[in-house]
Amino acid sequence: MELTVNGEAYEAEQAESVTALLEEMGIGGRPVVVVLNDEVIPASSRSGCCLREGDRVELFRFVGGG
Amino acid sequence: MERQVKVQDEWIVGGHRFSSRLLMGTGKFQDAETMVGAVLASGTQIVTVALRRIGRDPREDDLLGPLQRLRGITLMPNTSGARNASEAIRAARLGRELGGSPFVKVEIHPNPHHLMPDPIETFEAARVLAAEGFVVMPYMPADPVLAKRLKDVGCASLMPLGSAIGSGRGLATAGMLRLILRDARIPVIVDAGLRSPSEAAAALEMGCDAVLVNSAVAASGDPIAMAAAFAQAVGAGRNAHRAGLMPRGGGTALATSPLTAFLSAEGS
Repeated sequence: MELTVNGEAYEAEQAESVTALLEEMGIGGRPVVVVLNDEVIPASSRSGCCLREGDRVELFRFVGGG
Repeated sequence: MERQVKVQDEWIVGGHRFSSRLLMGTGKFQDAETMVGAVLASGTQIVTVALRRIGRDPREDDLLGPLQRLRGITLMPNTSGARNASEAIRAARLGRELGGSPFVKVEIHPNPHHLMPDPIETFEAARVLAAEGFVVMPYMPADPVLAKRLKDVGCASLMPLGSAIGSGRGLATAGMLRLILRDARIPVIVDAGLRSPSEAAAALEMGCDAVLVNSAVAASGDPIAMAAAFAQAVGAGRNAHRAGLMPRGGGTALATSPLTAFLSAEGS
């Protein structure tokens, strides 16, 4: 399934849900905020949140900053 | 007997009480271990973090884990990278989602050369975010007119710059900071530009409620030792402010010892 993840094309193996995508990317369980097609997906609804061909996913995390 | 300055000296921002008057940024540290060591040595209770898209290597070290393991630390996500109010508002909402903290440091500095905060976009973002219930801490130019406007739209504190971010030029805005302090009814935190602990002490002596440092610690020779030095300086500056400095002399000297010639008898 072809997705856009953080602005770049991403071919997902079998990421049917947001949770599955994070697992596939190796960041399952990491503190990230997920934005799917400009909408924030709360952590509690990620497993039930299905992905479709062409979806735009953005993933953010905290880094050092002043 | 040593006289103790009254111990209880908390300050309140957005309804939250803090005892430490040193806020710490987490950027520029060589590794997470040094950053955590400096945060602990500083005794800080509020630390800033930035929000970024996950890069090509998604397994890079995460900052949130180590910080959340520390007790009593309030996270304050910043909006760095935002060039205008709408980007800052979006960053603030994402930061709250991720960190669960109502605190946000609004910073909008579109020019990478001088990183001066955009007063108009900062005001607009602060207005919207305060109405949404955020504890808004705006990084701002040291301008008393803007300070009043930001307070009026519900900001929890004011964070005027001492000098340009990362410049280490100290309290170049001291005169303007005094004008802000004169009328501020909310905490004033000097954010940006400090290099040495003595500058932090001077800010507290002047009456600022707190300072926020990052480069001064992270880019020092020994960040953990420097964080501790800043903590001491902030404490000394605050105690001096509470004690009240002596009046300035009128340009003439005033002796501290009696001026009578010590061998001659009084009145002879």
